[in-house]
Amino acid sequence: MDLVDIIAEKRFLGQEFLTWLWFKSEIRGGAIDLPGIGDISVVFEKHMLLEYGEGEFHEKIICQGLQAELNEARTGLRMGKKLEQARIVLGRGEYEWLMTLKASVFDFKSVKTPKTMATKEESDEPAAVEARLLEKIGLYEQALQLIDELFRLYLNLRLSAEWERELTLIREWVRAKE
Amino acid sequence: MGLLANSGTFVRFAVEGEMPENFWEFAAARIAANAFKDIDDNFEEYSIGWVSVMNMFDAQFAFASHAVGDYIVLSMRIDERKVPASILKKFCMKEEERVKREKQIPKLSRGHRLEIKESIKLMLTKKAAPMPAVYDLCWNLANNTVLFFSTSSTVHAALEDLFKETFGLHLALQVPYMAAANLLHPSQEPALAGMEASIFL
Repeated sequence: MDLVDIIAEKRFLGQEFLTWLWFKSEIRGGAIDLPGIGDISVVFEKHMLLEYGEGEFHEKIICQGLQAELNEARTGLRMGKKLEQARIVLGRGEYEWLMTLKASVFDFKSVKTPKTMATKEESDEPAAVEARLLEKIGLYEQALQLIDELFRLYLNLRLSAEWERELTLIREWVRAKE
Repeated sequence: MGLLANSGTFVRFAVEGEMPENFWEFAAARIAANAFKDIDDNFEEYSIGWVSVMNMFDAQFAFASHAVGDYIVLSMRIDERKVPASILKKFCMKEEERVKREKQIPKLSRGHRLEIKESIKLMLTKKAAPMPAVYDLCWNLANNTVLFFSTSSTVHAALEDLFKETFGLHLALQVPYMAAANLLHPSQEPALAGMEASIFL
C-alpha cells in the first residue's frame, strides 16, 4: 500500500485514538497512567475539529470554547463524528506541553515546549547555540515520547480482547453527555 | 515556526536504508555537495539546498555546525522566482494588443498567443526576485527519525528528494498507521493491517 492509500484507508486510526484519548482523559479527571512512566495529565482545551463520513457525505464541525463549553463537540460525538484535531495540554511532573494534534496524519502543530531556565540565554556562541538546540530538541522529543506511549497504550488495548469492554465504556461516556 | 521558535509545527519521518560507515565524514561531504546555491545574481528559476538553522545565508557549515550531539540539524532552503498570475496575464494582454495593432489583424492564433505567453513569462521570471523559504530539520541518529518543520505535502516531496539525493536514504512519513507498525510487536502487524473502524455510538 502506498502512503496515499494508507492515509485514506486508515484515516480512522488516528481519529479513533484521539477520540479515545479524550474519553480517557475525562474519566480520571485528566490523569492517565502510562506504563513505565506513571501518571501524566492530558487535558483537551479550546479548539476541536470533528469529522464524519467520506467523499460527498463528508461533514466536519469546528468547536471553540473553554473546556466546560465543548457542547457542540459532545453533540458531534453522539452523531458519530470522531475527533480529527484537538488542542491538548500534556503534563508530566513540572513540565507542560501544548500542542494541536491533527489525528489522521499526525501533524504536530503549534507545539509549545515547557519554559526552562536556559531558555533565557541568548548568546550566539557556538556552544550556547548547540546547548539551546539540544535542549529544544530534547523537549520536543519528550512530548513525542508521551504521544507514542499513549498511542501504544491505545493500540495494545485496541488489539486485545479488552477492547470490547473499553468500547462499552466509551459508548456509555458518549451517551452520558446527553 | 522553526526549531528554535517559541512554538513549532512539525511532522515525523522514519529514515530507511543502510547508513554508510564513517557516517559523520560522509554526511559532511554530502551536505557540502548539496548546500544551497544563491540565485540572486543569475536568472535561475529555482534553487534548493541545505543551510545552517541559525543563518539562512550560511551554506558553509563552519566547524561542522550541522552536527549537534547525536543529531544532524539543518535547514532546507528553497528560493524560487515566481510570477503572480495576474501580472503575467496583464503583460500578455498588453503584448497581444501591441502585436495585433502592429500587424493590423483582429485576432491572434492560439499558437501565436502561447508563444507570446512563453516569452513574457521568461522575461518576467528573470526580473522577479527569488522568494526564499526555509524549513528546519532535525535528524536523530540514535533512533533514525527526522522531525521536519512543515506540514505541507509539496514541501515534504521536495524534502524527500533532497534527502535521497544527499544521503541516499529514504524518508517515510510517520502517519498513524506507520507509527503504529513501529510501536507494536511484529507479531501484531497482521492484526493492525486487518483493523477496521470501531463505532463509538
